[in-house]
Amino acid sequence: MDMINELQEIFRDIFDDEELVISDQTTADDIEDWDSLTHMQLIAEIEEKYSIRFTTAEIKKAANVGEFIDIIAGKLK
Amino acid sequence: MNFEEYRDAVSQIKIDDYAALLNISRKWGKIKTDKSKNIKIGILGSTSIPLIASVTRALLTRYDLYAEIYEGDYNGILMDVFDSNSQLYKFEPGYVIILPDYHDIIENRPHVLATTEETKETVDRICENYKRIYNTIHANLPGCQIIAANFVEPYYGPMGNLEANYIFSQRMFFKQVNFKLTENRPPFVTIIDAEALAEYIGKRNWFDESAYFLNKSGFSLSYIGHYCDLIARQFEALVGKARKCLVLDLDNTLWGGTVGDQGSSGILLDPNDAEGEAYQAFQKYVLDLKNRGVMLAVCSKNNETAAKEPFEKNPYMILRLDDISAFAANWDNKADNIRLIANQLDIGVDSMVFFDDNPTERELIRSFVPEVKVVEVPDDPALYVRCLDQVFAFEWHQITKEDINRSQSYRDNQERNSLMEICVDYKEYLQKLDMHIECRKLDVDTIPRFSQLTNKSNQFNVRTNRYSEAEIAEMMEDSQYSLLTIALKDKFTNYGVIACVVLQIIDQICFIKNWVMSCRVLKKTVEDYTISKIIEKALKNGCTQVLGEYIPTKKNGMVEDLFERMGFQLTEEENGLKRYLLDRTQMESFSRIYYFKEG
Repeated sequence: MDMINELQEIFRDIFDDEELVISDQTTADDIEDWDSLTHMQLIAEIEEKYSIRFTTAEIKKAANVGEFIDIIAGKLK
Repeated sequence: MNFEEYRDAVSQIKIDDYAALLNISRKWGKIKTDKSKNIKIGILGSTSIPLIASVTRALLTRYDLYAEIYEGDYNGILMDVFDSNSQLYKFEPGYVIILPDYHDIIENRPHVLATTEETKETVDRICENYKRIYNTIHANLPGCQIIAANFVEPYYGPMGNLEANYIFSQRMFFKQVNFKLTENRPPFVTIIDAEALAEYIGKRNWFDESAYFLNKSGFSLSYIGHYCDLIARQFEALVGKARKCLVLDLDNTLWGGTVGDQGSSGILLDPNDAEGEAYQAFQKYVLDLKNRGVMLAVCSKNNETAAKEPFEKNPYMILRLDDISAFAANWDNKADNIRLIANQLDIGVDSMVFFDDNPTERELIRSFVPEVKVVEVPDDPALYVRCLDQVFAFEWHQITKEDINRSQSYRDNQERNSLMEICVDYKEYLQKLDMHIECRKLDVDTIPRFSQLTNKSNQFNVRTNRYSEAEIAEMMEDSQYSLLTIALKDKFTNYGVIACVVLQIIDQICFIKNWVMSCRVLKKTVEDYTISKIIEKALKNGCTQVLGEYIPTKKNGMVEDLFERMGFQLTEEENGLKRYLLDRTQMESFSRIYYFKEG
């Protein structure tokens, strides 16, 4: 599965929306419940899924889905 | 989804599944229910409160608690506590939870090479601050119970191993503060041991520095379930749902092997064998539970004589027959046996915990007696202690001397029953018991027991008002209230305080606001004695009426006609709620027969 589809599964689960579709450009402004709390959960679940750790700078920076994917891909190399 | 569906969904989730817990917490707003919120909680602290509030609220539904929560601002604790017009006080919570973080006080630690005196002063000053916070909340919300976490001590310290060698060190400073908080704990404060939880998880995993700097989270999001469960569990005890009896299997639970096949000397319990030692260690832990007041029962598929033999003859047994309050060894199914034990001990099945190595038996109990807490027992006996300890089945609000004596008195019940067999009638039996009773005005030392009885008694409880220690202390100071305790002993047992009464006297009318009694002393005419004392008190205060009220619950059917039996007139009945009256003439001519000596 593409990474974006894997992330979409996580997003759908967290935001309790089975029809949610995300793209590289999706930001917190596009998803009503994407706040600092759900952001923490996103980070934790992504870290768990890919067995990686985000640095503080990366968590600060990751504002849209595309940036998440870049960070994850960079770590998986 | 309605409240019950939400509750059942929460109950299915394991505490370490943080993602599922967070997801269900967010669905709180979708509950459609006519159930009214039954508990108000304020949460204050210097950690991320909203998250803790939402997960705690979800976990509380497991105990049928529907909580309304006030969330204090981050670091807003002083504002909420010291301003008597604060949002917190306007909210009027019944419980306030205080969650500090080590960053709150780390800058106040003693300087390197501070003297012992200086170190102690520093610790005292910090603990004084917390005491002031507790006392101010108590003054503004007199009936409120405070639940305060201790400090999770940071794992790091600038002096390395020397931290353990000087009491001025950062490490020792936090230990002293935590110690002092426990030492100074007032009765209206319950300390939750966040430090013990973090130690068990391991601090290396517990702390998430990045999450702290980003969101001021005191710990890693992965443990949100553990942390909130620790908080929620305290409410299980505070609202009277504490469990008090451990039901144990024998073969491969208390010892290795089957006693029926191998005989009492053939079972595995010898500490020279690693597994034998593990079973023995488990028995030691179980004995410690008994000594803190948990009743022990045996429920085993065995021949009774064979099952009892190790207790009497095997030299490696730690538990003796004397330690067991109820012993069911037979070939009937365990669901029936569990109900039988509950009956014998006069407790509800919902106060029992079942520990059995056999998964089939566990499944049977889960299906047929779902109120029982069934422990998922690991295959390896070496892990039994850890397993039983970490399910926190016996989280009580306090320990009283009545708890410690309880299992003693169940054993004495056996002797009492033998006495009954030799008496010609019940009256003779009651006389031969040589019972001494004492009715007293509640004193300060008995507050914990008073609170415990009002919270734990479900059957003999006419109005099922629950009182925290703080609320009781408040009523003691209020002249319209009279709080009475009844203590009983007989030739076999000193029961201690077994009944409590709250009377509210206004304008010559004495209202029985609450009346509870331990079911261990049923059918001994204690209720007859108690009502006589209530009337005596009412007459002394010039009352012209005594009013009684019965509020039905699922469990208190036993006292449905109590007031009738005591000669009261029924004046009103509505949806099962019944109101009663005893007028001045009836009061003056009141007389009941009971079989006690006073004092």
